[in-house]
Amino acid sequence: MVDIQQLSLSFDGRDDVLQDVNLSLREGEFLAVVGPSGCGKTTLLNLCAGLVELPVGQRLTVAGHAPRLGSANVAYMLARDSLLPWASALDNAAFGLKVRGMAPSQARTIAANMLQRVGLRGFEQSLPKALSHGMRQRVALARTFAMNSPLLLMDEPFGALDAQTKLHLQDLLLQLCHESHRTVMLVTHDLAEAVALSDRVIVMSSRPGRIIADLQVPLPRPRSIRELQTNDAFHHMYQQVWRYLESGWAQHEG
Amino acid sequence: MRADSKPRLWQHVLFLISFSLLWEFAANKGLIDPSFVGTPLGIATFTIDNFFNARLWGDLAWTLFSVLSSFALGSVCAIAIGLAFVTWPRFEAFCEPYLGALNALPRIALVPLFILWFGLGVGSKIAMGFSLSFFIVLSSTVAGIRGVSQDHITLTRTLGASSRDLFFAVTLPGAIPVLFSGLRLGLIYAFLGVVGAEVIASERGLGQQLSYLASTFAIDGVWSLMIDLALIGMLIVKLLNMIERRLLHWQ
Repeated sequence: MVDIQQLSLSFDGRDDVLQDVNLSLREGEFLAVVGPSGCGKTTLLNLCAGLVELPVGQRLTVAGHAPRLGSANVAYMLARDSLLPWASALDNAAFGLKVRGMAPSQARTIAANMLQRVGLRGFEQSLPKALSHGMRQRVALARTFAMNSPLLLMDEPFGALDAQTKLHLQDLLLQLCHESHRTVMLVTHDLAEAVALSDRVIVMSSRPGRIIADLQVPLPRPRSIRELQTNDAFHHMYQQVWRYLESGWAQHEG
Repeated sequence: MRADSKPRLWQHVLFLISFSLLWEFAANKGLIDPSFVGTPLGIATFTIDNFFNARLWGDLAWTLFSVLSSFALGSVCAIAIGLAFVTWPRFEAFCEPYLGALNALPRIALVPLFILWFGLGVGSKIAMGFSLSFFIVLSSTVAGIRGVSQDHITLTRTLGASSRDLFFAVTLPGAIPVLFSGLRLGLIYAFLGVVGAEVIASERGLGQQLSYLASTFAIDGVWSLMIDLALIGMLIVKLLNMIERRLLHWQ
């Protein structure tokens, strides 16, 4: 689904952001990307979304093609819910479909189903100001999943939520991914989140970002966030990711 | 203790009646000179007479026409130029010193020139109202568009929106709160500019009537006209508040 070979990127030809990144993402795989702030995680996502232009000669493909801004293959989800404050939950959930050219009535029907799926039945007409942070991010999930794009790019989607709400939404994301066959690339600061949600975790070094570990997560699916709390394999994996992340820092300090 | 400290209506009525009685009494006793300050009874009589005088309504129509046309013209030009500024920042940078100088100029100083150019009719009034509302709406257009959430823009671009879709679905609604506060101020300033120009020299209009009454020492009439102007101003503000509540209910 995503194929990156020996990708290096620098801004203005001086400031190296990414160095020699090789990454290949299978269809249906859930990949988590962790690394210190400024290591280029988000830039990697933005490259796949076409938000950052791929320099000439660099090899990165999404579903076999060079990344293109607005491609129907990709749905992007940001840290803040980014709901339009003047539109109802339903119109927000339908926004992606409508921008992509679907007839408004059909988009609303799909969006209404998605809202129900994320547990917001009865809130269709609510404005974002009337919803809690968690509910707003549920609407954003509904908007993202409604679009049926095979590749989901998520930039810290739950980074702005309190701990408890975050667990609920992680569970919801696990269910949504389980039901609809999607490929996910999730950037996060939260190592527990990375391990709990993904099939595979890559750890990046600080700038310029290189991949210092590429780890398979040996946890069966379907998973439940709550059950993982008592799972030894989960904790073992968490420790392992931590050690790699620390080694990345140590290299940087040295 | 009661939480609401808002004065009641009867308190206002009581205050206004006592104030008027005191004023009337002082004028009658010769403590103040009614030919300079007028009397409440005189003001009331004039107001009622004037209400049934076609001249008032003609002047009112004249003034309101000038205010609304100068505001409409000023806003449309300001929004168009504001959009051009956002699209071509270099154009904005080039115009900035000239606009800054014009904006710093006390605009009322342009009235003699406007009268020479556009005569004593509505033309010079519209020019004056325009010169005030234009700059206010221009800066709020630019600020409103620049202030639109980057998250919304990023998200919409990843959805493949065309520039036109992006503008109508995200940029325009996102800019409306700031733009609207500029429009509100622009309308109030258009009113100020028009009445100011009418007071200086005009064929007709409420400002002209007020200026004429003052020059003939009809002080009661001056007060009455000022009350009319204040009422119109308050009506404009009320109307704008209503529109804002409807338009920006999502805030």
